[in-house]
Amino acid sequence: MEKKYWKGVEELNNSPEFTRLRDNEFFENLPIDELLQNKASSTSSTSRRDFLKFLGFGVAAASLAACEAPVKKAIPYVVKPEEITYGIPDYYASAFFDGNDYCSVLVKTREGRPIKIEGNKLSSVTNGGTNARVQASVLSLYDSARLTSPLSAKKKATWSEVDAAITSKLSQSAAAGKKIVILSSTLPSPTTKKVVAEFSAKYPTTEHIVYDAVSYYGLLKGNELSFGKSMIPSYRFDNAEVIVSFAADFLATWLSPIEFARQYAITRKLRDGKKNMSRHIQFESTLSLTGSNADNRYKLKPSQLSSAVANLYNKIAAATGGASVSSSATPQDKAIEKVAQELLNAKGKSLVVSGSNDPNEQVLVNAINHLLGNYNSTINVNQECNLRASNDAAVIELMSKMNAGEVGTIIFWNANPIYSLPNSKDFQAALSKVGTKVSFADREDETAQFCDYVAPEHHYLESWNDLEPYKGYFNLVQPTIRPLFDTRQPQESLMKWAAMPQADYYSYLEENWKSNIYRMQTGVTSGQAFWTQSLRNGVFEVAVTAASAPAFTGNVQDAASKITKPGTGVELVMYEKTGIANGAHANNPWLQEFPDPISKVCWDNYFAILPSYAAKMGFKQGNVIEVKVGNVSVKGPVLLQPAMAEETIAIAVGYGRTNVGKAGNGVGVNAYPLVTIANASMKYYTAATVSKTVEDDYPLAATQTHHTMMGREIVKETTLSAWLKDAKAGNPEEMIETPYGKKKVEDVDLWASQKNPGFDRPNHSWGLGIDLNACIGCGACVVACNAENNVAVVGKDEVMRSREMHWIRIDRYYSSDVTKENAGEKGLGKLDMYGEMEKPAAENPDVVFQPVMCQHCNNAPCETVCPVVATTHSSEGLNMMAYNRCVGTRYCANNCPYKVRRFNWFEYTNNEKFPYTMTDNLGKMVLNPDVVVRSRGVMEKCSMCVQRIQYGKLEAKKAGRRPLDGEINTACAQSCPTNALVFGDYNDPQSEVNKLAVDGRSYHLLAEIKVKPGVFYQTKVRNKEEGKEA
Amino acid sequence: MSEMSKKILLPQTSKQSNMLRYVPRCLSFTLLAFILNVITLSPSIAQPNGEALFKQNCTSCHVVGDNKVVGPGLKNVHKKQSDEWLLTWIKNSQAFIKSGDPDAVKIYEEFNKIAMPAFALKDDEIKSIIAYIKTESDKAPVVAPAAAAAGSGATAEESKETSPLVYLLVLVLIIGLYSILNRVQKGLERVVRQRDGEAEPVVLKGKARTKSWIREHKKLIAILLIVGMVYGSVKGWDALAGIGISQGYQPDQPIKFSHKLHAGTNKIDCRYCHSGAEKAKHANIPSANVCMNCHKYIQSGPQYGTEEISKIYKAIDWDPAKGVYGMNQKPIQWVRIHNLPDLAYFNHAQHVKVGKVECQTCHGPVQEMEQVKQFSPLTMGWCINCHRNTEVKMEGNGYYTKLHTDLLKKYGPQAKLTVDKIGGLECARCHY
Repeated sequence: MEKKYWKGVEELNNSPEFTRLRDNEFFENLPIDELLQNKASSTSSTSRRDFLKFLGFGVAAASLAACEAPVKKAIPYVVKPEEITYGIPDYYASAFFDGNDYCSVLVKTREGRPIKIEGNKLSSVTNGGTNARVQASVLSLYDSARLTSPLSAKKKATWSEVDAAITSKLSQSAAAGKKIVILSSTLPSPTTKKVVAEFSAKYPTTEHIVYDAVSYYGLLKGNELSFGKSMIPSYRFDNAEVIVSFAADFLATWLSPIEFARQYAITRKLRDGKKNMSRHIQFESTLSLTGSNADNRYKLKPSQLSSAVANLYNKIAAATGGASVSSSATPQDKAIEKVAQELLNAKGKSLVVSGSNDPNEQVLVNAINHLLGNYNSTINVNQECNLRASNDAAVIELMSKMNAGEVGTIIFWNANPIYSLPNSKDFQAALSKVGTKVSFADREDETAQFCDYVAPEHHYLESWNDLEPYKGYFNLVQPTIRPLFDTRQPQESLMKWAAMPQADYYSYLEENWKSNIYRMQTGVTSGQAFWTQSLRNGVFEVAVTAASAPAFTGNVQDAASKITKPGTGVELVMYEKTGIANGAHANNPWLQEFPDPISKVCWDNYFAILPSYAAKMGFKQGNVIEVKVGNVSVKGPVLLQPAMAEETIAIAVGYGRTNVGKAGNGVGVNAYPLVTIANASMKYYTAATVSKTVEDDYPLAATQTHHTMMGREIVKETTLSAWLKDAKAGNPEEMIETPYGKKKVEDVDLWASQKNPGFDRPNHSWGLGIDLNACIGCGACVVACNAENNVAVVGKDEVMRSREMHWIRIDRYYSSDVTKENAGEKGLGKLDMYGEMEKPAAENPDVVFQPVMCQHCNNAPCETVCPVVATTHSSEGLNMMAYNRCVGTRYCANNCPYKVRRFNWFEYTNNEKFPYTMTDNLGKMVLNPDVVVRSRGVMEKCSMCVQRIQYGKLEAKKAGRRPLDGEINTACAQSCPTNALVFGDYNDPQSEVNKLAVDGRSYHLLAEIKVKPGVFYQTKVRNKEEGKEA
Repeated sequence: MSEMSKKILLPQTSKQSNMLRYVPRCLSFTLLAFILNVITLSPSIAQPNGEALFKQNCTSCHVVGDNKVVGPGLKNVHKKQSDEWLLTWIKNSQAFIKSGDPDAVKIYEEFNKIAMPAFALKDDEIKSIIAYIKTESDKAPVVAPAAAAAGSGATAEESKETSPLVYLLVLVLIIGLYSILNRVQKGLERVVRQRDGEAEPVVLKGKARTKSWIREHKKLIAILLIVGMVYGSVKGWDALAGIGISQGYQPDQPIKFSHKLHAGTNKIDCRYCHSGAEKAKHANIPSANVCMNCHKYIQSGPQYGTEEISKIYKAIDWDPAKGVYGMNQKPIQWVRIHNLPDLAYFNHAQHVKVGKVECQTCHGPVQEMEQVKQFSPLTMGWCINCHRNTEVKMEGNGYYTKLHTDLLKKYGPQAKLTVDKIGGLECARCHY
């Protein structure tokens, strides 16, 4: 079959603007006037002659200056730490948790500076995977917006002043019988919880309320209603044969996406003789990353999802003898019937999840899983997940207590309610009635600006802590750098304020581990040895006692009666984006410039609307619309997003921050005020009224639609049943027309002859395999590459000129249903067929992702056109780029069939026009010292992490052995949570990349042009019947 | 007639004069050569054997002075003890102490029972050492040994190099000789003319003289111009090509650390201090705590006494009197000599550990440098040349085993497997 994929709506519609951009790929208005900053130049009296004089003088001065090299200093340590060898990185095991993602990590440090985050393979939760936010977290350490000292009444103060003041205020509150409230995000740390408990013992009026920006209260409460205990179970997607998700974006943002992505990929990979795949069915309103990976995806309006769950429950109950509930019809009831059958066929090996924050919908989901016997196989109630503990009801109650003047002191800990609460204005008013306001925020954020004291916290790379993401799964957090500023851990602040005897949190933590957690195991016989071992490994895991079947006691009738009934009219739904998520890292330029996997838009959020529905409403891309929910209205640009549900508008939260720092302030609009509070919980969808404004169109910066590869078979695809019959299904041999008839690509060669048999790879031959079946498009690799290779951030303006610098991009293609095969059935002629293939039959397209980096062609077209031989080929199969040789003709980029080369239009270091990562000394500390920072006017591109290859080779040479397979890895492959990318040496017969390369699914991108890339792809396999829905 | 005769006459005169002009020049060169010979042949005084032996064996624990290092200061030790006593002590101090000699026991107790190792030296060798101590003791004034050491160093340097005064003298001599001979020649010419009855040539003055000279020396001027231009271009090109190359760069360092003393005289392995050279990209400048491994005991150097070593103590905040460290540490700001541009990646371990290249190959005879300078140009051409000529040390390294056999098959068993044959000239080996 041959589906037609298109890269964006502009391409599909073939608008004149798009055609112009496409034909003029390097079209741009050079902003030279702006950069020279002189309106004066056009009116000034400087003559040409004067200009030449200046120029001459300038050249002379420059050459004179160049003659005298500046004196450089070499300053060694006074006492060098034993573990540091200059030039050799040290890795420390730690863990990342920001109230949103949990990830067990290894921190790469060079001469005491953390420069890169890598996954910790010893953790059985994340197992070496990372995601974009974890990868970017190292940059947040060097954020110049961070507070450098505590604040008292917005003025810099010393810790002793702040401590004295806060301690007396706390005593006053306690003495007066007023509440001391700690409002924090989820704190899944056993030792932190102990500190909070001891603090509460000292100040008995203390109340600890957990508030997460994006609430999982529904999931917690739903489980409480079902099993009598407020908790979240652990999910095992890798044990599931059928996965049904109701708007749970478990691959990108839901609960523990790194862990779930890894588990999911295990069921999707067809490697090492594995011939079965899970079935994944998604019901959702927006196009999420998870939905785009589903085998079958069904669109429902947000208000219809709960009824769909109820309908599915009824079908399952009917077959398994459960009680049926009353429910409303949804447009996808036919599909639900089929899905129910599939679930029943995979009883005990299926999994149903829902992203809803409605406890009643979660009860129904639990009931379905219960009837299917999924507890103890794909869901484990005994192994509780500690990653979310938000309590919406308590937060709402807190506001009334604050208004009543019952709260004497409030302490904000990783909580920013004035930004992220829907009724933040009310909260602000209530806050003014609180006696003392303290914040642990690392910057003067939206909430901290109203606080009397700010006791800034460390970055996690400066902190000690422990985490227990799941019961029995511990992970230590250790500092990898001395605190950059005069900050302190919140735990330590609480210890000081509660006058606890321990000197610091570190000794408290060590003591707790040596005395309490040590006792949970038997293998290590001394507390010190246990502590050292845990610190080295990062993780400590103990088996949880075997699960007994949980008693499901949920009242399904009651739940079904309380769920939302399908509504009519326009509905608005709030979601989290893969990059920015809840907005805590909005000042991270890597995440802002990270293109959304689905829309490919960076530096903004927007109202996503289905194109056909937008046309009905009269909206066009970039139109600014106003969305009203109750008395809240938000204005923002329209993005035409295929595969959205009808009558649905989606907007991402996490944008529109005002007090986060120069990179994040004012980017996008804040969608949190659109969240509604219903039945004492946050509701992330609602009915809304939409109107067009008269404001000028707002341009969105998208990284796709700039580079077209249309009309060719870029992503190859097949179905599981076809692949089982034929290992080369969907991946037929590429044939080339020659004067002697059609020939196989490998039999035709313009380069090699008998005299010149082509290239020689005597030592290594590096290659990268990308399994499109495992790639979920999450983009961890994009940010990992940013960090590893000192890739510059260029900002929204430059991205709109298609000058983003990412060395690796993830192309996202939508399919349409008209193919060459079915065109005849539809009565289309040849010409009409091509026309129809272009047309938006894309109400619910399939989506594919394809990471594209330099393909390291052995017959590289870029190399032959470089006039200064700046790009050449190595004997190890790498396409090399010598930046200092490059004169910037850009011929290579023009001749690159994959469009992976990036040109430095400007000097991005020390340039105030690009105030992102490399303009201040702090931001420069994240740079990888082994990779040169490119200058203006040179071309750059993926080097296949040659610095890592060289390092790995040298380590092997020093040890007198060959490098082991997997020992050398690129940053992209290493960061991948699903191991979709495999790097290795083709010359090593045992290497994994070699095994994958000969697989029937493997193919080269644009094989017919015979550039012989070093990178290969593997066909995407969908687990569904050809042309059938479910 | 007069005009014509002048034209014919003048060249003749110049020919004669050219021949005559050689006389003073030859004379002056001979003189110069003689003077230079005298200077270079000035006898070099043979160093006494005792000094070398002392430096080889004793300097790590003793100085010829009053200050204690590890062992006692040896100034006037020959006056304190007899030669026989010293001979016995040096040959085997432990046995001597055991024999119960009161002086020996006293010294042993005084120096915290740190035993002096036994030295297998012959009697005459020890005596030469004692003789050296004797001369040094008499030489060194009691106060400011550092200044004296520095002073002696300076005079030693002066005597080695020819002073500019000598050159000036030679120049004055040559000029004097030249002018005398010139006058003699002119007088002889006049005599010849008078004998032949020729008229005295008209002496032109001012501009006219210059013009006429120019007119008559067109070829010479052309040749000079061409030579000048060629010379200028070559020099100019060299100067431009030298921009950014700082071969010979020899900056003053914050501490007058002598590689000559440490690596040359004391033969400390380069990698003792530059310990990164075998492990990593950087050979690294040692941190002050590495200096303290020895300088905790060696508190005074032969050249600058305590002056330079005390700078280490200041940096690491060590009190030599009390033997304790303080908290007020300040790093030493060395001046970096070898500055590769950021665009070039160089790894010491690759060259030192894998390639088994000697440090001196690139850094020159550092063990002879009092003050280190950049020995090599560190240009890409220099790198490439070495990669073309140096054979890869494949033997015994498991990484190369297969590659070695493959390459020998390809290039023949006698082939020189140089670095360029395994991709050592590829851009991305050094530029990324």
